[in-house]
Amino acid sequence: MTSPVVRLTLRGVLARKFRILLTILAVVSGVAFVSGAFILTDSVKGAINNLFVELRGDVDLEVRSTIAFGDAARAERDPVPISMMKDIAALDGVRLVEANLLRQATIIKPDGEPLKTSGPAFGISWNGPDGLDGRTLLEGVIPTKAGEVAIDKASAKRAGYVLGDTVVIVGPIGKGEFTLVGLTGTGSTSGGGGASVCAFDPITANEFLGADNKADSIYIGVTPSAASSAVQKAIEKVLPSGYEVITGEQSAKETAGAINEIIDVFGKVLLGFAAISLFVSAFLIFNTFAIIVSQRLRELALLRAVGASTRQIHQMIIGEGLVVGIVATGLGLLGGLGVAKGITALFNAAGAAFPAADLMISSRTILLSVVIGIGVTLAAAIVPAIRAGRIPPVAAMRPELGFSALQRSKRLVVGIVTLFSGITLFSVGLFVQPGGTVGTLGGSAIGAVLLFLGVASLSTTVAAPASRAISRILPFPLRPMTNSVPGRLASRNAQRTPRRTASTASALMVGLALVSMVSVVAASVKKSFTDQLKASVTADFFVTNLSFQGLPVAFGERLAELPELGSVSPFRATRALINGEEKQIGAVKPEMGDLVDIDIQKGSIDSLVDGNILLHTDPARDLNVGIGDTVDVTWQNGTTSTLTVGAIYADSTVAGNWLIGLDTLAEVSSAPPVDFFIGAKIADGVSIEDARTAVDKVAADFPSAEVQDQAEFQKSQEDQLNQLLAIVYGLLIFAIFIAVLGIANTMALSVFERTHEFGLLRAVGMSRRHLKRSVRWEAIIVSVFGATLGIVVGIPLGIAVSIALPDSFVTATVIPLSTIVTILIASIVVGIFAAIFPARRAAKLDVLDAIATH
Amino acid sequence: MTDVSTVVAAGAINASKIYGKDDSEVRALDDVTVNFVLGQFTAIMGPSGSGKSTLMHCLAGLDALTSGRVLIGDTDLAQLDDKQLTSLRREKIGFIFQAYNLIPTLSALENITLPMDLGGVKPDQEWLDTVIDKMNLRNRLSHRPSELSGGQQQRVAVARALASRPQIIFADEPTGNLDSKTGAEILAFMKHAVTDLHQTIVMVTHDPVAAAYADRVIFLADGKVVDEIENPTSELVLDRMKRLGS
Repeated sequence: MTSPVVRLTLRGVLARKFRILLTILAVVSGVAFVSGAFILTDSVKGAINNLFVELRGDVDLEVRSTIAFGDAARAERDPVPISMMKDIAALDGVRLVEANLLRQATIIKPDGEPLKTSGPAFGISWNGPDGLDGRTLLEGVIPTKAGEVAIDKASAKRAGYVLGDTVVIVGPIGKGEFTLVGLTGTGSTSGGGGASVCAFDPITANEFLGADNKADSIYIGVTPSAASSAVQKAIEKVLPSGYEVITGEQSAKETAGAINEIIDVFGKVLLGFAAISLFVSAFLIFNTFAIIVSQRLRELALLRAVGASTRQIHQMIIGEGLVVGIVATGLGLLGGLGVAKGITALFNAAGAAFPAADLMISSRTILLSVVIGIGVTLAAAIVPAIRAGRIPPVAAMRPELGFSALQRSKRLVVGIVTLFSGITLFSVGLFVQPGGTVGTLGGSAIGAVLLFLGVASLSTTVAAPASRAISRILPFPLRPMTNSVPGRLASRNAQRTPRRTASTASALMVGLALVSMVSVVAASVKKSFTDQLKASVTADFFVTNLSFQGLPVAFGERLAELPELGSVSPFRATRALINGEEKQIGAVKPEMGDLVDIDIQKGSIDSLVDGNILLHTDPARDLNVGIGDTVDVTWQNGTTSTLTVGAIYADSTVAGNWLIGLDTLAEVSSAPPVDFFIGAKIADGVSIEDARTAVDKVAADFPSAEVQDQAEFQKSQEDQLNQLLAIVYGLLIFAIFIAVLGIANTMALSVFERTHEFGLLRAVGMSRRHLKRSVRWEAIIVSVFGATLGIVVGIPLGIAVSIALPDSFVTATVIPLSTIVTILIASIVVGIFAAIFPARRAAKLDVLDAIATH
Repeated sequence: MTDVSTVVAAGAINASKIYGKDDSEVRALDDVTVNFVLGQFTAIMGPSGSGKSTLMHCLAGLDALTSGRVLIGDTDLAQLDDKQLTSLRREKIGFIFQAYNLIPTLSALENITLPMDLGGVKPDQEWLDTVIDKMNLRNRLSHRPSELSGGQQQRVAVARALASRPQIIFADEPTGNLDSKTGAEILAFMKHAVTDLHQTIVMVTHDPVAAAYADRVIFLADGKVVDEIENPTSELVLDRMKRLGS
């Protein structure tokens, strides 16, 4: 025998399936994002791990130089001399020894443009599929001599090359022409996981990639009969100090791990937005349940009258939440597969070439989705359930007595307390420890959640007057809304149920508050960045790289030789340990002084040579050093230096906190150098056009380089910021979409509730059109109210974040008025959109049926 | 030995109920003392605002008195907390309302057994069959309320009130929403329940024809019991009403 509570719960859900459909949809989308984020990251990580297992499958041991500190996979290691291979090959148990060499190499398409890749563009040394590298040969033969190359099949296809074609490739030291003799694949794919890979025979690779008889590391294959660990020990004995031998397994794990970290960051961003959309969904769930409870007032009172206990009523409403949660979580997990597939497809269409991965749903994904999906639904259903339990049985006969129970609340006090604890937590997180740790930032996030809840709660108090004001102010075609009957009805209806109006608007408030906050921060960052750039950058040209790999050093060297240019300096970077902390150190030529104004306080930029270091005022103060004092530095390869402070400067926008000369860098590190960007100034008396022509001519040999003048550079930096913003806005729109669902849902429920009233209005002569208009205008009032709340909350949040951001990042606070006007106009559109179906439903009602309904 | 016909099923002693405060004070019940005898069908009559509904709500434990006592059997309702009141309603009291008597999502049978299901008690099948047959609902049991006529819905409500064999059944204008023929049918069923099944029913009504089905009519005006008739006819009730109204 099923318990009556279970039966009532299930029947209750079934009877209202259309009313709770939108609720389910809201939860589904949140859960889909959560599970999608996990499924995607798990699957891609799994595929990448497999890829590296295949690529390094035959590498039993690897010899590389040691590092003093830092991340094993991303460290800049000194190269290993190829000569070392002979000694290793002579050891017992060693089957094969290969040089591992991987450098930047860009394929030029037949039309002369560089082949764009979403991943890096590589050139490697390759011994063919019989060697230790796990790459496969899909077509043609392996490259064996100078002038031959094999390219990964996917890149060759994209570039439009077939076997036998002559391919132009740009390496670190210049251009070369090669005959395409082979097409390679990786694992089960024909690509390089988003990278383009040019494979050369070892001798050609050494020359063309500018390796100077040094390899990144040495791969070793062990004979099947020998024990890998014994061979590892034997190699250890012959290795000079500064080198280590590790297993191929560990090496693959380190490399895959570094990539996995990037994927994890991506997954975390997705989870963040999932959290926002779930938070907004919670408002929708809460609202739907609250409305359904008040619509079932008589039914619930009847149940109480015939003997249902308060607890049974609680169980019933919570049970309905549980059913919604379970159904939505199940659908959400399926949706998660869709999200993962969709994002993969989206990125692949953009050329990311995610490795083909079987979608993996781990038990952790399922568990978290269930906990989150059901948890959020239940949490949102608790308050309506408690209210439902308060309905007195006498309301079965006198419904008017029941509504007072539904309206009792200590809202004002709770709201104010929540709001202020939210503001406190938020501010503590932002300001007490600027820059913040994960803990304080988490505090800020919780603070923001409390703040939103507080505002949502307090907004009930202002919902009625605000609705009245909005309906008076909103200039509807030709005359104010309140001058017409539908307008007045819309306005009164919004005021009649302030709690409902407020919580419906609150869902929109959360989304739009985040949008306003982001827009304030973005506008401030943009303004600060432009100001700083104008103030500190004096270079005429900037050269950056299209990919993130940096520029071949040869390019900067050739620019420096141009007579049309005056000062030219590359910007390199390395990592070092100073006072026990890992720091990024910039390496430049003293000419940089003409290109960037770093606002020197003491000393001179000319000290930027042999063994000197320049410091920003902050670290100088922290270390308590002045001009002539020394700083002890440990470089990543273990070398230590004692550098003398040559100057102290105040502007770190471009230069960062630490600067050394290029010559100092070359002395302490033999890792292959890469330029992040190059700055150049036009020589005296040369026109900007002539200089540009000369620079472009050099750049023609380095197709991956992008030459920009000041205005172009500034614009490209802003474009990058805008692209990032577009992604953030895109994801926030999702939360707003859920809020719109919420408005549509509330309006639909209200229309259902007012069936009798609408019948009456129609009976006394209101036209369908007017009825529709009245519903639509009410939705507009609600969304404009939500948008206004969002802006009022979001702008101060944005200002707070702008102020809290470090001065090197944000110096000015800007409120973007155009964005705010756009939000307000968009909210009207949102209202119209949300009202489409409810309005249609209201207009369709049959007059007689409607009047007969109670 | 006590005569069965004089055992009190429920009663109010010096019952007062006051709504509002000071100037807006409304005395809905003013020191009412009344007893309802086991196995009797009692009608409470009175004009609108006489306090007849309030009296019933308080007798049924749906509403609390301002002062005085209500007894169901020998239980004083004022001594009970919400939980005990709930189980009292479930086990000792049956309800029939004017409208909206049934849970729309449950079938007729499920509605009938609802109080017992809520209490986790198995219905007495023999008694249940008797009630169902008496109410002539045998071939309607699997129907939802929306599939039943108004009269059938009220019969299901009567059956639900009877099903747990309560000490007393309260009916609030049970025929108010029905046409006179269907109304008469329901009243006949209620009368049968008292005479054949030995149940106790207290009914609030303003219809003299309905009141004539009762064994006894109590008249309320301005929160006070003003009159009482045994074995009424509709003429007698109407006559008494006219006098009260004047």
